[in-house]
Amino acid sequence: VSTQSNVITVSTEWKKSWPNIDEDNSKFYDGLKEHKLLVWRCTKCGSSYWPVAYCQKCDHNEAFAGQMRWEQASGRGKLFAFNRHYMAFSSAYKDEVPYCYAIIELDEGPLISSTIIGDKQPKDVYDVGQTVEVVYEDHPKEGFTLPRFRIVG
Amino acid sequence: VPKHPSSGKYAIVGLGVIAGHQPDRSERIVGAEAARLAIEDAGLTRKDIGGAIDLRRSGGGGDRASYVDAYSRVLGLKNNFYYITGRGGALAGLGIATAQSFLDRGVADYVCLMGAVSDWSQAQESKKQGHRGMAHAEKRGYWGKSLGDLRAVSHHSWMAARHMAVYGTTSKQLGAISVAQRAWAQLNPEAFMYGRPMTIEDHQNSPLIAEPYHLLDISLVSDGAIAFILTTAERAKDLPKKPVYVLGLGFGEVSAELWWEKKNFTHMAVAPAKEQAFGQAGITVKDVDCAQFYDCFTAEVLFQTEDYGFCKKGEGGAFMEAGNIGPGGTIPVNTSGGLLSCYHLGDLTGMAESVRQIRGDCGTRQIQDCDIVITTGHGGELVSPGMCSIHTCTVLGRNP
Repeated sequence: VSTQSNVITVSTEWKKSWPNIDEDNSKFYDGLKEHKLLVWRCTKCGSSYWPVAYCQKCDHNEAFAGQMRWEQASGRGKLFAFNRHYMAFSSAYKDEVPYCYAIIELDEGPLISSTIIGDKQPKDVYDVGQTVEVVYEDHPKEGFTLPRFRIVG
Repeated sequence: VPKHPSSGKYAIVGLGVIAGHQPDRSERIVGAEAARLAIEDAGLTRKDIGGAIDLRRSGGGGDRASYVDAYSRVLGLKNNFYYITGRGGALAGLGIATAQSFLDRGVADYVCLMGAVSDWSQAQESKKQGHRGMAHAEKRGYWGKSLGDLRAVSHHSWMAARHMAVYGTTSKQLGAISVAQRAWAQLNPEAFMYGRPMTIEDHQNSPLIAEPYHLLDISLVSDGAIAFILTTAERAKDLPKKPVYVLGLGFGEVSAELWWEKKNFTHMAVAPAKEQAFGQAGITVKDVDCAQFYDCFTAEVLFQTEDYGFCKKGEGGAFMEAGNIGPGGTIPVNTSGGLLSCYHLGDLTGMAESVRQIRGDCGTRQIQDCDIVITTGHGGELVSPGMCSIHTCTVLGRNP
């Protein structure tokens, strides 16, 4: 594992569940590989979503939500809520517990979940609202990148 | 409030319960047996049952406890329809709503509704075979498994965490819910935790699974089946058991707002369901004698107690700590012990208890003059960070 700024490269074999990359989200995962966090934005009203959806605010949507685009987000948000997993529900997580699994409220509005990594961890369940920033976890062997977050303020 | 024309026009007239671990029996035969008991309890025979509904959680993406067979085939119910409905823990309300339309049109005179669970047996089998129950890839449309979102507790615990962060609720206050329900279970010989009382210290000392949740914030893993017979109020009059009338049926849904509506982490979709069900029944919250809330985890009980208006939003923690939902409290909740302490057969756990409370069959835990009971269901697709999105409310009554 090597770390540089907001990128982590993991070269060991991935033994956990693979991410579900399908027709709806393949561009989102492509974005992660390019170290961009994308949100699904309406070109008419500018509202942002994650994951894919028809625009909830516009009365009229184009066929197959055609007016929506994946666009780069700030990659920042606020810690909304989190838990700390003490039990490893799979052997692949044995060395990882305890880990902090959180909901992030992105600056663009949508909620997304992932783990909070790094030394700076919330001190207890009441300690939320901190600014967090995306960290890209590259898995070059497997060919995917996962988003993690770290507390920056 | 004027009652809805369909309020009190249908009734539950038979109940069959198979509780406890069923290591040597298939889920299919356990389900068929519960149905047989329900038909017998109603004073009917198999040939009276015009249709059968199988209540399964698989509709909610909880891919456990699924089996290939119809319990109506196993039991030999010759009827006009058999089909499967249900969405996670939301089973009974959906089943009753659809069964009513079959009764209404004369497709069936009596409908049998049954839900079976073999989670405990399946977990044993899985352990024996050395599996850890992990699929290689997450399901389509699911988010988070590759990031460590491995079980319901992985995301449901956020509800507790968010409520704590927003309102200052404590783990001990959540624990008070477990303690209250465990106290109810001590009055129910059928409960898995009967004879095993617990204290708040037990809760606090139980291992942290996904903080803030301790082991004792989490519901049981069970086997069993519950079946009930629904018919018209008219037909119910001629049957041996006192009819349990369906007074209201309400539904709430927030799936379209799962990733955007932050309120979903401190509230459940109770508001519309309550308005519909209470409106149909012509009741207010003051008329409710006891509530069987869906309690997969402790926070769901907390949210619903607030959302239904038994206390104010944010004040649920103190309300629980004061002992309001346990025996002798102001609003008895999950009087069988619930999913936390009795057994986890989805919302059928609560439905069976509601029927028994209305009938007056609850022995030492019987609520005196129990006229109105509400039973709720909760479930949905596992689409972390979105939470189970459906809420169902069924109002049952002693009088039509």
